[in-house]
Amino acid sequence: MSIDDATTAANDRLADRDDMIVCVGVDKFYGDFQALKGVTATIKEGEVAVVCGPSGSGKSTWIRCINRLEVHQAGDIVVDGIELTNDLRNIEKIRSEVGMVFQQFNLFPHLTVLDNITLAPIWVRKKPRAEAEAMARALLDRVGIPEQAEKFPGQLSGGQQQRVAIARSLAMEPRVMLFDEPTSALDPEMIKEVLDVMKELARSGITMMVVTHEMGFAREVADRIMFMEGGEIVEVGTPEHFFTNPTEDRTKLFLSQIL
Amino acid sequence: MSDSGQVSADREFQEGMEEETASPHEVPSLPMGQWLRKNLFSNWANGILTLLGALAALVALRGVLNFVFSENRQWDAVRTNLRALMTLSYPESQYIRVWVALGFIVGLAGLSAGIWANWGGVSVKRISTWLMGTGAFLAVCVIAREPSVIIGTDGKVVRTVEGSPQRESFMDAMVDRSSWWIAAVLLLAVGAGLWSRFSGPVRRRVEVPVTSVVCVGLGLAVLSLWIAPYGHYAFISATKSYVAESGRTVAFSTKLPWTVMWILLCGFFLVGRSFQRSRYLGLIKGSSNLLWLISPLTLFWVVLRDPALDYGHVISTDLPMGLAFGLLGGALLWGLTRTGIGEAGRITATLLLGFAVFNWVAAFFGWYPMLQKARISFLLLALAALLAPNFIGELAKRRQLVLGWIGVTALVHYLATMINTPSTVELQSTEFLGGLGLTLFVALIVVLLSFPLGVLLALGRTSKFPIFRMLSTSYIEVIRGVPLISVLIFFSVMVPLFLPDGMELAELAAVLTGYTLFSAAYLAENVRGGLQSITKGQYEAADAIGLTSAQRTGFIVLPQALTVSIPQLVGQVISTFKETSLLAIIGLFDFLRVANSVIPAQSEFMGVKREGILLVAMIYFFFNFTISKYSQRLERRVGLGER
Ligand SMILES: Nc1ncnc2c1ncn2[C@@H]1O[C@H](COP(=O)(O)OP(=O)(O)OP(=O)(O)O)[C@@H](O)[C@H]1O
Ligand SMILES: [Mg+2]
Repeated sequence: MSIDDATTAANDRLADRDDMIVCVGVDKFYGDFQALKGVTATIKEGEVAVVCGPSGSGKSTWIRCINRLEVHQAGDIVVDGIELTNDLRNIEKIRSEVGMVFQQFNLFPHLTVLDNITLAPIWVRKKPRAEAEAMARALLDRVGIPEQAEKFPGQLSGGQQQRVAIARSLAMEPRVMLFDEPTSALDPEMIKEVLDVMKELARSGITMMVVTHEMGFAREVADRIMFMEGGEIVEVGTPEHFFTNPTEDRTKLFLSQIL
Repeated sequence: MSDSGQVSADREFQEGMEEETASPHEVPSLPMGQWLRKNLFSNWANGILTLLGALAALVALRGVLNFVFSENRQWDAVRTNLRALMTLSYPESQYIRVWVALGFIVGLAGLSAGIWANWGGVSVKRISTWLMGTGAFLAVCVIAREPSVIIGTDGKVVRTVEGSPQRESFMDAMVDRSSWWIAAVLLLAVGAGLWSRFSGPVRRRVEVPVTSVVCVGLGLAVLSLWIAPYGHYAFISATKSYVAESGRTVAFSTKLPWTVMWILLCGFFLVGRSFQRSRYLGLIKGSSNLLWLISPLTLFWVVLRDPALDYGHVISTDLPMGLAFGLLGGALLWGLTRTGIGEAGRITATLLLGFAVFNWVAAFFGWYPMLQKARISFLLLALAALLAPNFIGELAKRRQLVLGWIGVTALVHYLATMINTPSTVELQSTEFLGGLGLTLFVALIVVLLSFPLGVLLALGRTSKFPIFRMLSTSYIEVIRGVPLISVLIFFSVMVPLFLPDGMELAELAAVLTGYTLFSAAYLAENVRGGLQSITKGQYEAADAIGLTSAQRTGFIVLPQALTVSIPQLVGQVISTFKETSLLAIIGLFDFLRVANSVIPAQSEFMGVKREGILLVAMIYFFFNFTISKYSQRLERRVGLGER
């Protein structure tokens, strides 16, 4: 199977899916500095999209615009048919449908692992506590740390904390998961345990957008890889295309540095 | 690496953690001699410093003891005035009010202690060291104190030729103090007994709950009232004098109420603890917080006001009016939240607002009479109508608004009725309540009221809305730029102008308002320090899981910010408590002023000041030390949740 065939195959597989995240000409400024320059991309339902690129290229900025942690100044972002505007109700709706996992975990240190996970289901989804706790325990089981439910985040290792953070996001039953360098703050021996959880998630069919430098992960589970530089998307393609036959010089340079 | 590798990594990590957390307890306890050598006499310079320090401490101790036990001290001044020191001349016929107020707070404290805290334990070994330490200290005191002077048959101090008082010999003094010796030896013996049983490797960790220790300690103190009739004399309101009357000691007249207080404390603690496993724990915690918030009002009511309600008026006017506003207003709001209301809702609300404002204008020019209560209610109804569009839609939301309205109406009408009715509590001038009672009353109310206000100000100052930020910042800066005294004086002049008729507590109401506003500004700055320590990541994580900004503040930001600022908040509580002594300046008789100017003005104890002030200082210290110890425990307990 040639590379072009593979690309077409991947596109075919996703072709009949609905659009989950649509960005059209998104601009983002920090003062005078333009961090995003007309970013345009579509991510399909169930797709796993990996975003990579050199430091400062705007990866975090873009992914944070998608659940409105950053406000974009121009262009449109539509998530699952809901357009991101200043309307608070839309923002609330999108945030309860989009989970996010941060580089620094950002668990709530004053709550136990269980309370970290059940907080949003109880107060945002208005679930009964018993139901929320049952689901939280099931999620902890799924991310491989069922025995840590009663501990505080400070008592867990980095890898365990990041898995709790993933469970916390999943507890809202999101349709999209955003990951911003989920393994960059982890010691090498803990990266694998987090990546394993993410791979399992990818197979479960949830839409994922992952900013990462873990090229092994990208090669294995990504449907498409997007390469950013200087606030723009420079190249998009299947992993086969991306790793074996990149068209852009900048992509080649980046790959030569990172692989 | 496969799954098994990952599991073993986890296990290793946990073991590492356990070792780390366990290690502080594992400080090997050295035998006494070795400990001394290691810490105090490690080299000869260290040894000399230790000896010098000990000598200085001993000299200071001797000075204090000689002062306390000097033949010149008139401790009768304090003993006779215990009642005055506690409440000054609060009318005896109304004394039950003080006890009810105290009982309310004590019960609530017990309940909260039971609900909230897992207080942990203290090891028996630790208790045994306390006992031995106290015993040893007592023994040192007995030895360090100068031998007493000799009192001759004429009741006067026997003097030497040079005129200095003659003292008994050291041996005689020791014999005289045999009861002290017995106490010291008893403490040492009990302590040593416990130590030898509980310092073995097996039983070293045996613990008793802190709460039991406190409960038993307070119980013993209360019990002593039944056994030893101390206090000697009581305030006799019939003769308006503080002088002796046999059989009427302070212990005698307060032993029953204190016993009730003790039972309330322990009983409500047990009740609270039984709630800990309850399904409704959240609800119960919320209600106990609410009780604390309304307790200032309750205290104010119980201690100071007892409105003489005219039931004819209540039934003919107050009640119907409240019901009318509650029900008709509720019906109106129900209508205004119908889905299809559209423009009509806004027009109604605007008209209502115009009418409400017009009422005030009319009242100002005296065009037509309308009860103030009604004017306030119309204004509130107009505001609710303006809010109504936010509640359009689901049944639950509409019900929220209507029930909220009925609740607010009930509260406003209740308060208005009570405040407008003259009080039956007969007060003898402004010094009706004084002493420690007044000090605690003011401190408690100010702390409880300034806490929510301070938190709101801090949130306002860090808010993203410029108007809130500006208002809070200027408020805080203005208050912090002004001395407390001037705030108190300002309010004692201004507040009486705004009080309704029949409210005779001008001075105190003024103090409470001014002091609360003052203290809130400082509290706000402490809380702001805590708010600033919350990382951006916490806000983002809360946003990302879909919390509203109120939920984010309540569940994520405030709990952490308050935890961080516990030391500063406790410092604020302590200084609020101590600075109540400034109340004296605007004419109130606080604890210190009773000792400093009331007692020395009595004909029996003309000019006797030092004894009272020493006692006052000791009691201040006792309270503040307890608060500070408690906060250390609190910090340790919540420290678990820290990073
Ligand atoms: N709050 C901010 N204020 C000003 N400039 C910012 C801010 N956040 C990001 N930037 C700038 O925007 C650009 C893009 O930043 P971004 O964090 O998106 O990069 P990134 O691709 O995620 O890089 P990295 O791999 O290092 O995380 C950078 O040049 C950065 O300096
Ligand atoms: Mg980044």
